[in-house]
Amino acid sequence: MNELKEKAKELLQNGTVKVIIGFAQGTIPNRTKPFIVRSVEDAEKLVFNKYCVNNLAMYLTRKEFKRNGVVGIVAKGCDVKAIVQLIQENQVKKDDVYIIGMNCSGVVSELGEEFNESTVATKCLHCMVHTPHLHHTLLGSLEETPKREDKNFVLMQKIDSMTAEERFDFWEAEFERCVKCYACRQACPMCYCEKCIADKSIPRWIESSAHTRGNFAWNMIRAFHLAGRCVGCNECERACPAEIPLSLLNRKMGMTANKEFDYIPGMNLNTPTLVGTYDVNDREDFIK
Amino acid sequence: MRIGVFICHCGENIGRTVDCEVVAESCGRFPGVVYSVENKYMCSDPGQNIVKNAIKEKNLDGIVVGSCSPHMHEKTFRKACADAGLNPYLFEMANLREHCSWVHEDKVEATKKAIDLTRIAVEKVKRNDPLSPIRVPVTKRSLVIGGGISGIQAALDIANAGFEVVLVEKEPSIGGHMSQLSETFPTLDCSQCILTPRMVEVYQHPKIKLLTYSEVENVEGFIGNFKVTIRKKARSIDETKCNGCGNCQQKCPIKKKAYNEFEENLAFRPAIYVPFPQAVPNIPVIDRNACTYYQTGKCQMCVKVCGREAIMFEQEDSFVTEDVGSIIVATGYKLYTIDKKPEESEIKGYGEYGYGRYKDVIDGLQFERIASASGPTSGEILRPSDKTVPKKIVFIQCVGSRDEAKGFSYCSKICCMYTAKHAMLYKHKVHEGEAYVFYMDIRAGGKGYDEFVRRAIEEDHVKYIRGRVSRIYEEKGKYIVKGVDTLSNMNVTIDADMVVLATAMVAQPNAAKLAQTIGMSYDKYGFYNEAHPKLRPVEVSTAGVFLAGACQSPKDIPESVSMASAAASKSLVLFGSDILEREPTIAKVNESVCAGCFYCQKVCAYNAVERKEIKDRNGNVVKVIAYVNSGLCQGCGTCNAVCPSKSVELIGFTDEQIYAEINAL
Repeated sequence: MNELKEKAKELLQNGTVKVIIGFAQGTIPNRTKPFIVRSVEDAEKLVFNKYCVNNLAMYLTRKEFKRNGVVGIVAKGCDVKAIVQLIQENQVKKDDVYIIGMNCSGVVSELGEEFNESTVATKCLHCMVHTPHLHHTLLGSLEETPKREDKNFVLMQKIDSMTAEERFDFWEAEFERCVKCYACRQACPMCYCEKCIADKSIPRWIESSAHTRGNFAWNMIRAFHLAGRCVGCNECERACPAEIPLSLLNRKMGMTANKEFDYIPGMNLNTPTLVGTYDVNDREDFIK
Repeated sequence: MRIGVFICHCGENIGRTVDCEVVAESCGRFPGVVYSVENKYMCSDPGQNIVKNAIKEKNLDGIVVGSCSPHMHEKTFRKACADAGLNPYLFEMANLREHCSWVHEDKVEATKKAIDLTRIAVEKVKRNDPLSPIRVPVTKRSLVIGGGISGIQAALDIANAGFEVVLVEKEPSIGGHMSQLSETFPTLDCSQCILTPRMVEVYQHPKIKLLTYSEVENVEGFIGNFKVTIRKKARSIDETKCNGCGNCQQKCPIKKKAYNEFEENLAFRPAIYVPFPQAVPNIPVIDRNACTYYQTGKCQMCVKVCGREAIMFEQEDSFVTEDVGSIIVATGYKLYTIDKKPEESEIKGYGEYGYGRYKDVIDGLQFERIASASGPTSGEILRPSDKTVPKKIVFIQCVGSRDEAKGFSYCSKICCMYTAKHAMLYKHKVHEGEAYVFYMDIRAGGKGYDEFVRRAIEEDHVKYIRGRVSRIYEEKGKYIVKGVDTLSNMNVTIDADMVVLATAMVAQPNAAKLAQTIGMSYDKYGFYNEAHPKLRPVEVSTAGVFLAGACQSPKDIPESVSMASAAASKSLVLFGSDILEREPTIAKVNESVCAGCFYCQKVCAYNAVERKEIKDRNGNVVKVIAYVNSGLCQGCGTCNAVCPSKSVELIGFTDEQIYAEINAL
């Protein structure tokens, strides 16, 4: 923990960054909150532990941060994936971000809980970037990630084996709870559009009332917009007050992108984005 | 709004299955529609007058015509609107023919659908904005790619009309395949004798800039305003110094190392060479793979004999850019090679004919060289293997063509004629020789063509056998040709001295690459697609690009020349005006909401999306967003589809308009 504070102080003192986005202790134990460090004194409050769940990368595209020059960010592997994808999509300049990479062996799924094999977040079970793959400095150490059955994956397989009607019924029941608060969008580092399609009124693409039709339209359009882009941080699902299993949709789309095009978002700065590339040899038979 | 609806019977075409009176009456009740009538032929002069008069008398500000496809008459009605003083983009067309009457039988249902289709157009026109065409200047200069007979003809036609032409040829000399031919059907006049004056004319023409040994590397821009980058491959010769004396060729010690491509590998050439004596320009090129200097650093014989210090071993590829208004693609063909099955290809090939294994089994172009007075045998018909006169020659037609199982399904078109010519030339030179032709059908459509084939059969006694050959093998210096005569239903065995295969014309191997560079579509064989098979045969779907010759499909010389002249005249039509008007229906970015993800830029097929910096009043860059170059945008709408926040829209086809159309259903 001290090494993080020291590093933050050093970066602020030598002028590398003016601002660092990190975590501070929350109001109750086993809880942290996003924290913006603007002074050396503030750096004392920085923490990093199993309760640092938030994906802070979503702050990087906010206007308030864009005018700060180089921004420092405390980032786990999954957060770095988001940063890489944002750089690929021209939203963040590579030289405008200083990544304080944190070795991370997993975080809790719900804030406030003890960290053990039953509470480790699902995304950590199949994480490939316990050590961040892109960073300017690397801190912390790795422990073994607790193991548990990936229930999310089991459910996904179950949905896969359903008929189209059963699948529709399943999602209808889930989406019924959606109140279109757009918390999923606000938490998502990839939802950076200045004006979301959900907010357009001429024409109104998505019905704004909490009706099945609009609920389906919103959640499906979001899933499509994230296909081949979602880095799997699962912040949308965590933010959802209606507990809709959004990660199932995003994970399924991601797995399809990987299977058909051998592409994992946010892994390599230099590969072109999946949606933004066209190759005459691209397979077309995946459209059924 | 005051909208007028005009329903067309199209004679019986629409009226037969759609009750036009009912449609007109129903449409008259749509909100916003103040006038609704039907007419037998809306496109006729009286029909157009109904529209024009109604605009004036009823004070209309939106027009919907329910008739045929916009492909047919959109221009007609837009013009009529403009004549009556209404912006032509306040007009919409409902396709009641192709989309309704032609595809339905039930009159009641078809009438309902016609009303729906018209309602859609009415909703669209309510949201239409007046637009004006985009005006762009025209560069009155043409690029011709390929210096065969098609390219030569097109270049001369344009240059003779007084406009500049850049002619690009990838080989060291212009002339193409025609320069390799011996005599031409159906008149048997000497190919070189009729071609070389044209080649010289190109070389001497003040309006033609000739770039040989060069290839088109990149094409940017749009109709009237193309910017073309051309790679001039290193010739290793200073073209400004060389006077074509030929000493270097004669003294080059490389004698039997490099096959002569012009002679279809039937002879050798030096490492420094001009492809053939009448080459234009008469400037040699060094084959760096064959040249001793490039391999060992020694020799330099050519440098010693060159009195003009023109040899430049260190020369590198250079690039030139040319601004042109039109592009004529005349890249020609290749012959199908059947020596072995191409790797990773579904084409099975004709291994059983032994081409490549047996020296005396040759293809059509090789026979042309053997029969040519300037060829490796000086026009004497001799076998490549032992230089003896063949007593019996078998010609096999349709090798590779018209054979889906082993080659291509298309007809190579010229082989019937050139095989008849080959057999005839052989009989004229070897009087006692026997010529056999295996054929599937004889396709001799063309002026004097069938007479020519009859002459080969009747006067020159060429023996035509209707059937295919299954196998050729060598036995005691003879080639045993096993075939079948399907007219008598008998197997045929011929012990030939030589076999000539009429192999199919195929597209150039890099045809697809050039198509992608220019933005042309091509068929599954690599031949370029014309914009319309009947009415726009020399245009491609990209405006300002035209086709000539065998790059579009197999063609003989007269057809290639006519097509070249047609392409040239299409270019000249373009050069007839100083300003070009383009459709204003292109993409436009909503700068206030664009997030700058540039997915639009990545998917744009026309490189029309650029980056634009938005600055605050102090000049600091606030954000970088997408910007559509109106000259380049073709209005395809791909950017519109990919934009996650719908910040880019297609003018004339906005989301609002499309949405209204869908909601009208």
